[in-house]
Amino acid sequence: MTRADKPRVYLFGFGKYGRHFYQHLSEAGYLVTVATLRQKNYTAAVEAGIEDLKSFNPKDSDSLRALGIDPAQHMLYCTMDDTANNLFLILSLREVYHDANIVAISNSEENSRKMLYAGANVIIDVYDASAQHIVTNLTKPAVSEALNTIVFGKNDLRIAELPIQPHSPLEGRFANEINFRKKGVILIAIIDKELGDDLVYLSRGVNHRFDAGDILVLAGPIAAIQAFRGEMEPATA
Amino acid sequence: MTRLEHFAVQQIIAIAYQLDGSLRYQRVKSFFYDLLENDNYPYKRWFDLFMIFIILTSVFILVIEVKEPVPLWLDHYDLYFVTSIFITEYLLRMWVYSDIHKMLIQKHEEAQYLDHPLRLRALVGMAFTDKWAYISSPSAIIDLIAILPSYRQIRILRILVLFRAFKMLRYARSLSSFLFILKSKKFELITLLTLTAFFVFIAGIMLYVFEGDGDNPDIHNLFEAFYWALVTISTVGYGDISPVTPEGRVVSMLIILTGVGLIAFMTSIIVSSFSERLVELREGRVMQEVGKKSNVVVLCGFGTMGRKIAQGLQHEGVELIILDNSEDNAHEAHVMGYRSICTDATQAATFQQMRVAERVSHVLCLTPDDEQNAFIAINVKSLAPKVPVTVRCSDREVAAKLRFAGIDHVVIPEEITAMMGVVHAGEPVAFEALRSIVTQKTHSRIDEIKVQTGDALNNRNLGELSALTSRLIILGIVRPNTAGSKDFLFNPDNQVRLQAGDDLVILGHETAVSHFKHKVSV
Repeated sequence: MTRADKPRVYLFGFGKYGRHFYQHLSEAGYLVTVATLRQKNYTAAVEAGIEDLKSFNPKDSDSLRALGIDPAQHMLYCTMDDTANNLFLILSLREVYHDANIVAISNSEENSRKMLYAGANVIIDVYDASAQHIVTNLTKPAVSEALNTIVFGKNDLRIAELPIQPHSPLEGRFANEINFRKKGVILIAIIDKELGDDLVYLSRGVNHRFDAGDILVLAGPIAAIQAFRGEMEPATA
Repeated sequence: MTRLEHFAVQQIIAIAYQLDGSLRYQRVKSFFYDLLENDNYPYKRWFDLFMIFIILTSVFILVIEVKEPVPLWLDHYDLYFVTSIFITEYLLRMWVYSDIHKMLIQKHEEAQYLDHPLRLRALVGMAFTDKWAYISSPSAIIDLIAILPSYRQIRILRILVLFRAFKMLRYARSLSSFLFILKSKKFELITLLTLTAFFVFIAGIMLYVFEGDGDNPDIHNLFEAFYWALVTISTVGYGDISPVTPEGRVVSMLIILTGVGLIAFMTSIIVSSFSERLVELREGRVMQEVGKKSNVVVLCGFGTMGRKIAQGLQHEGVELIILDNSEDNAHEAHVMGYRSICTDATQAATFQQMRVAERVSHVLCLTPDDEQNAFIAINVKSLAPKVPVTVRCSDREVAAKLRFAGIDHVVIPEEITAMMGVVHAGEPVAFEALRSIVTQKTHSRIDEIKVQTGDALNNRNLGELSALTSRLIILGIVRPNTAGSKDFLFNPDNQVRLQAGDDLVILGHETAVSHFKHKVSV
């Protein structure tokens, strides 16, 4: 995905979480618009050299509309440090933009439930991944090394998804027919549209038939994933 | 100084130096010290149980003997075996109580420095004074008296069997804890005892004055009046002596009311002392438990993240101890079934007590405060540089400082959250897959299998294992490299041969993973 293909991200909050989100999203090539509630964070963003910077008031719907969000194109990340602020922001954004893709951070399962109810599409628990990371590091150091490499990008290995387009060479074929490993990638999971929207891990041993609309989750070096993606593009007439 | 005295002093000092330089002597002494005195020594528990057993058997023999004769072998067991054990233990305790040879060396060096002659009498006196401190201690007196009942020729000595029961206090920690608690309320208990004695004295005299002149046929002397007063004030009331005059009954009524008050007072003293010391006792017990284990993970900070990690580690069967300076958090950890201590982890005492360098396999600093975490981590590293420490922090700059200070692993939850957010922005399905794998919220597991010399995996290539791994995804191999770190070989082909020291990283359904691990371990 090139920079132009990537959706613009509206990042709400520039506190201790927002700063990290900004840094990583920018490094990954996303165009990020930072919106802050507090003056202190606004000043910090200015000092950090952020130009695409706005302020907002979640209680004022007009101030949210004035941000220029296109819910079909933009992703909205609610990353304020305060859970109550995030919750109210989700509610306000959902009220103004019914179809927006809202991602929010939460510090507990209880708050995640509230945020999903308020209208968030995806919740990222701020402790879940870190806690599991520490537990794995202590109990399964090799797994930790593998995950650090694949997930947290210590080299060019990535985890990526590949939607199967109509007329793709994959369409109509079975998982066992394709030697993914030889192509340098590992097929980890699949969303089989016939079975619903849940992820199916291929390790269960079921031989899936690929149909248009299915989504494959692959792990591998960036180049191998790109090459495989290119190979599986529908043939042009 | 005579030549003989000079020779004796020289010989004593020579032996002292010899002992000081002998590793074997120190090892043996340290072994006996641990066995007798060190609550954290794993084998002490077995020694204590053994001693309790022989005390109970010897008490049992002596009690049986009161009415009927016991078999000769039991008599010999009590006379020779039990007594020998008690004498040996007594002498060993006296031996490990202090290091006389060190004192002798110090004295000798002082004498040489000051150019004073070293007198034999001074040396013997010093050694005796030092050991006398042990001999005259209450527990040593009990130990000594407990040896005596075995000498059957003097029947009165048998009453001293009671001291064998007292001796059990040494070995049963809950009993000694009870006495320790009572000791902490010494002032209150002495006050209560004085008050009781005062009331018994007054009431006894009053009853004697009213009824001792012949009105009451059961009271012949002052002792009987005091006995009545004590039995009444304690609310026991045997009824063998009871007042007969209206005056005596009034005294009775008054001391019954006083007695109820005194008993309530005593109960409240004991209960309050227990409740005050309960946490302390529990934490002392936790430390003792930890002292007996190895590879303990110490988790400092039982906040939201600490709780999640504690849960994960407990699930993996890791021995865990939680430290938190908040009483509420430490109590909550205890309620949730973890070993916890309310303490300031920035101080050395707790870590020293748990023998961090020997017993602890990892320390996690997880409070929400970066500075606090750094403080704890540096405290641990200064005490035990080899113990790995993981620190939570919120900032890359802080992380750099911590790494500079030698901290092994730094985790920035905010950064990990942001990375997950980035994956979601581009690849939402991959994000879900990743999240499920990372947080282990599916039946699919990512696991590792260590390849060891002589096991089923060693020196085999992945192609040869294909029958076993057909239902698994081999993500890669973590292999030690020559630089001392590890490489991750992603997606290895079938020709790659596994070596001892490799870790095979697999992804699969939990049943398939367990099956594979079982097969390769057989």
